[in-house]
Order: sequence, then structure tokens, then C-alpha cells
Amino acid sequence: MNTIWALAKVVVLEMVRRKDFYVLFILTVLLTATAGSVNLFNDRSIVRYLKEICLLLIWACGLVIAITCTARQIPAERESRTIFPLLAKPVTRGQFLLGKFFGCWLATGLALLLFYIFFGLVSASRDHEWPVLNYLQAAWLHWLMLGIVVAFTLLGSIVFAAPSSNGTICFVSAAGILVLGRHLNKVALSLAEPLQSLLYAFYFALPHLELFDARGLIIHGSELIRWDMIALATLYAAAYAAFFLFAAWLVFRRRPLN
Amino acid sequence: MIWAGAFPSPLCPKPTVETTLSIENLRVEYRSRDLGETTKIAVHDLNLKVGLGEVFGFLGPNGAGKTSTMNVLLGFVPPTSGTARIFGVDVREPIARQRIGYLPEQTYYYKFLTAEELLRFYAGIFQIPSKETEQRIDGVLKLVELDHARKRQIKTYSKGMQQRVGLAQALINNPDLLILDEPTSGLDPIGRMKVREIIQRLKGEGKTVFFSSHELGEVETVCDRVAILHQGELKTEGSVNDLLKEHSSNLEQIFLKLIGYSPQP
Amino acid sequence: MHPALPIALALATALAAGGRLLLWQQSRTQDTGSVFALLLGESRRAFAAQVFLKADAYFHRGFYPSVFDLALPDGKTHMAKETESHNPHEHTQPQHPNRDWIETFGRNFYPSEHRHIERLGEAREILPWLRLAAELDPHRVDPYTVAAYWLRERLNKVNEAEAFLREGLRANPDSYEILGELGRLYAENQRDVPRARAVQELAIAKWIRQEASKPSPDVLAYAQILGQLAALEESTGNLDRALAHFTRLKRVSPAPDTVQKRIDELQAKLGQPR
Repeated sequence: MNTIWALAKVVVLEMVRRKDFYVLFILTVLLTATAGSVNLFNDRSIVRYLKEICLLLIWACGLVIAITCTARQIPAERESRTIFPLLAKPVTRGQFLLGKFFGCWLATGLALLLFYIFFGLVSASRDHEWPVLNYLQAAWLHWLMLGIVVAFTLLGSIVFAAPSSNGTICFVSAAGILVLGRHLNKVALSLAEPLQSLLYAFYFALPHLELFDARGLIIHGSELIRWDMIALATLYAAAYAAFFLFAAWLVFRRRPLN
Repeated sequence: MIWAGAFPSPLCPKPTVETTLSIENLRVEYRSRDLGETTKIAVHDLNLKVGLGEVFGFLGPNGAGKTSTMNVLLGFVPPTSGTARIFGVDVREPIARQRIGYLPEQTYYYKFLTAEELLRFYAGIFQIPSKETEQRIDGVLKLVELDHARKRQIKTYSKGMQQRVGLAQALINNPDLLILDEPTSGLDPIGRMKVREIIQRLKGEGKTVFFSSHELGEVETVCDRVAILHQGELKTEGSVNDLLKEHSSNLEQIFLKLIGYSPQP
Repeated sequence: MHPALPIALALATALAAGGRLLLWQQSRTQDTGSVFALLLGESRRAFAAQVFLKADAYFHRGFYPSVFDLALPDGKTHMAKETESHNPHEHTQPQHPNRDWIETFGRNFYPSEHRHIERLGEAREILPWLRLAAELDPHRVDPYTVAAYWLRERLNKVNEAEAFLREGLRANPDSYEILGELGRLYAENQRDVPRARAVQELAIAKWIRQEASKPSPDVLAYAQILGQLAALEESTGNLDRALAHFTRLKRVSPAPDTVQKRIDELQAKLGQPR
């Protein structure tokens, strides 16, 4: 566990010291502020559109941070050759992957925390409400979703050589699932066999990232999500993340490093 | 561990000292990408032993199989056949790497970390207690003369300083065996001299040093024993003094002769 | 040749080309004067349609069936209908049965209940999307009429509603819908009968010019404007005019019996025989 923690800390430090995150955060603040400064029929209490824009930016930035941070980890270790002194120490390849996974996941979690605090401030500035538990639920689900994304990006970084191609593939896949994942069963119903069964099988197999998108609920001030559902979502995310990490380990464990 | 049993290769002398590193019938093959060639033999039935406290030079021209052998020793590449052990433990076990320090050639350490943070990270991997970690960081940074730059990010380091921080990371766990891949590559004469001094100091502390180098003069100065590899095969192995006496020549001449190099008239 | 000459020539050419391009660009964007037209081109109309649907989703507290739901046999297109009628607060709720466990589970994490905005002030939340839809496609009239309805009916922002309708009218000078809504605003909120009458009559004239000869004219809009105008005339004591409008309304109204009752009442007031 110490080894995994040591590896994870370096990834977190990398994110803290790189400029990417700050650029994205400042961009989010600026765009939200611009959207908030628009005069809409002389009504300063309109807030939901601002929440929507802010959350959309947070979701886009979350994906970018998670994918770019994860996609570069292993290729950068290879390119700078730091993987050699690292794996020449008593570190198993499984620990290496887990350390990278937890590092990237923690780093995106820290970024999300800051983004959601900003979201809370934006919301409270007009709503004068702090539904902290609702925000916590939404942020937790968001973080779980990014856990799955980090895991499959890590797998991608072993399968695909170039971080840019891996990043693009992962981003398109994640965005595709977020937009279309919920509707694939309906599309399947409109198809003839055997396409219907094939698409239905794909629908059940893919990780439904959109399940973790509770933006609609916090924008429109809905009630809390049932905690047992949150627990189930946590299990669902853990299962998929574990699956992708296991697949990554299977590919990586015997791969020569020369 | 005391050597036990004899190896079939006539190149291996009868063991008389404690063994740090042993390689038996090691064969490494790579799948070749060239058309019409299925596999490429990088190391061909290599047998080698390195005793405790020795400074061992591992020599050979480019493509001789030195890096492949080192990659097997460090667990980066699985052997096609044969075994390699460090302190009696098969190199495929991660624990075999608990007592070794490795300095790879031309590595660009995490540039966003300071030397101190880098060493703390590697110490964390060895699970060294934090108080001891700080003491070791102080010690190795003084040894490699980077104490003054310990709080600077590595991206601000010169090439020589980067090589020395690499040496520091290889020493953070106080290893009994050091594996150095071209430790003086790309360094200026002062940098080389410093690395040589460090190797001598480590030898004085009873550490085993196994290193590859193209700097034959340096090898002649520093090493107790050497092995020369060519096209994956061990050409010779023995103490530097014995080789020099046997061939009545310097190491460079011996090396060139063994690899079959004849200068153009 | 002096070395500065070709540089000066190149500079002059660049400036001339730049000026020409600017003029060309201005002529292209004159249509809307909007940055969206420049950035999105014609695709902005599709975006405007999506943004308008977003407003409707906000009216339903985030709930909105997707195009995939609507395409299914059990999918009801009631929201599209309500969009067409500019009346997003009167419809019934569709209930899709859950098709599988993922769908059942997923409903916990997004607004999946068909509910309408409840609190009085909540209506303001749909306005940004209507404003954006109008910015994206100024020639689409429903964002103006729907926004004006909510502004004057629920938010007591009559001036803002009027300004927005006038903005819509500048982009769509022949829109009988906007004129109808503007007339209603003058009548109901500003009690400015002459202006209301003038605008409503203009709306009717525009409708006749644009729709009357069509095979399937927008009679619903015509009936609404006629109804409002008739009520206006009745309330101000111009019973003859009110009667004339109700008579025209009877021909196009989906409920002619109800209109006939009003006609009967008016005729009774006027003392005319049936």
C-alpha cells in the first residue's frame, strides 16, 4: 500500500505543478463569469442556466483533466525512462498500475473539489442556498465516473503507443457514452435481428457513464438521491474500474520494457 | 550465499567467494520485425557470477547483449530460458530488487520534483521509515554533491547533475548491489571523475558494483573483474589484472581483439 | 527601386484586401448582426431549435424525453405539439415503462418525473434559453412570444416583454404571432386600447396576407388574435365590432358553439334579432 501511495503522490504533485489544471479552472471561472454578467430581462436572480453552464464546463474539464493526466502517465515514464529505475525497485507491475490509477483518480478528485466549491459559490451567489448534501452526491458520482474513465484510459495507454491517439479515443468514447449510452436500448429496439441483440449486448456491456450524471437534479433543485442508489452506483463504478485495471494488468504484466 | 555446484561453461571459474549475482544458461530472444527472420537471439546461453564486494565491468560493443542481460536482471524482460538470481532470489520475484540500486542510462527524472522529493518518493517505495529517509537523503545528496541544489526542481539541473541525482536514487536504499548502465555516458571529464570516485567509495564500503561501459580506460581503472560480450556470447571473463597479463596488452586492445575488430591499414 | 516601396505596396494591398473582406463579412452578417451567425452559419437554426427545447425542459424541471424516446411507438410527441402551440403548460404526461434494469436504475440520477415548475418565480429560469434561441435564430418567432408571455403573466415584467417583442418584430416585421402577442400585452397589461386594437388589426391583416391562401393555414393563431380583438372590443363597449370579430371567429374556431353563445349574448345586448 505504501508503494501505491508513494506512486500516487507523485502523480498528484505533477498535476498540482503543471499548468493545465489552472488554465482549465481559470477558463471555467471566466466563461461562467461571462455567462453570469449577461443582462437577462433585468432579472439578477436567474440562476439555473448559470448552474447548467458552470456544470457543463466542469464536466468537460473533468474529462480533459482525467484523460490527459492518465493518458500521459505510462508513455511519459517510458519516454523519460523513469520507468526503469522505478521497476528496478521492489515494485510489481500491478502496484505500478494501481499507483498510477489512484494518483490520477485522486488528482482529478482534488480538481473536482475545487471546481465544485466554485460551483457552490456561483450557485449561492444567486440562490442563497447551500444544498451541500446534494452537491456532495453529485460530486461523488462525478468522481466515480471519472474513476472508470481513468481506468480505461490507463488500459488505453498500454494498448496505444501515442498518448494523443489514446486521449482522443478515450475522450470520444467517454463523450459518446455520456450522450448516447442511455438511448442505445431504444435504438436497438428499432433494429432487426441479429443487430438488435448485438446492440443490446453492447448496451449491457459498456460502462454507463451517464448514470453518474446528476447535473439535472442539482440544477433543478430536486430531492436527494437515495443513498442505497448511491451505494449501488459506487459498486457499479468499482466493478468497471476493477475490470479495466485487471485488463490493463493482464496486458502490462508480461510486456517487455526494452 | 555460498556458491554451490559448478556451471557447465568452461568460462566460469570455480566459485570461491559469496555470490551477489548469478546467471545460468541465460538465453534471451526477441521476436524480430525483419522480414524472413522470426527471432533474434540477444543473449546466447550466458553464465556469469559476480562475487560480493566486486566491481564488475560488463563490456561489449553496441548490440552485444549487455542491455538485454541487464533487463533480465532487473525484471524488465523475461528470460527465454535459463535463470538469473540476485542474492539467491530469482529476478522474476520483485523482492529480488529490494537490495539493489539501478542507474539507467540517460534518464530524465520527474522534472517537476526537487531532488529531495524524488529521493523521498523512492525511499517510500522501499518503505524506509521517515526519520531514516531524511538521514539517507542528506547522506546521498552529500555523496553526489547535490546538497546545495536539493530544493530545486530537477528541470533546472544540468546533465551532470541529473546523472548524479540518478546515482543518488540508486543509493537511497543503501543497496548491496549496484547495477549501473553507462554511468559516465555524456558526462564531462570532471563528472566522470566524480562518478569514478563514488564507485571507489562504494567499493570501499563493501558494495558490489555491476556496470556496463564503453569507457575501457575507466573500466581498467575501476573494475576488479570484467566480462566481454559479443553478439550475445561471452567471449571472456576474468580479473582485469589476469587479462592484462595473459594478453600483454591494455584492455582496449584485448576488447578489440576479442570482438574480431581489425583496423584498416 | 527603394526597398521600402515593395513593403509599402504589400501593406497597401493587405489593407485594401482586409477592408474588402470586412465589408464582405458585414454584408454577410447583416442578416442578424449576431456573432452566432458568423460562428455557426446556418447551423445556428438547429442550435436554436435545441435551445428552445431546453427551455421546455426547464419548464418541466429538467425532464424531457429524448428524440429516441419520441421515435419509439410508445413515445408521445406531446412536447413537440406543445412547442408548436407555444403553450408549454397544458399537456398530459407520458409514462414509458422501464425497459431494463439499467434504465430503471438510471432514473434515480436524472429528472425522470414529468413535473412542471411550481413556484411563481421559477418561470424566470426558462428565459435565458428563450433569449439564446432568439439570438441564435432571430427569425424564429416562438422564443419571443413564449418569453413575452412568461414575462408579463408570471414575472410582472411588462416593459421587458414589450421590448423583447419589439426586438422580435424588428427581425420579423411580418409576424402576426408577435403582433398578436404585442396587442395582447397592450390590452391586458397596459390597458392601451387604441394601440392594442391597431396592433391586433395589423396582425389580422398580416395573417390574411400570408396564410389565407395557403392550403392549411395557421387558423389557431388567427382564432386567437380574433378572439382577443373581439374581447377587447366587447370590453370597451364597441359591441358592433366585437360582433363582427366573433362572427369571423366562429368560422375558424375549433369550438364554434361556444363562439355562437357569445354572439347570441352580444346580439341580445344590441337588441338585434337572431
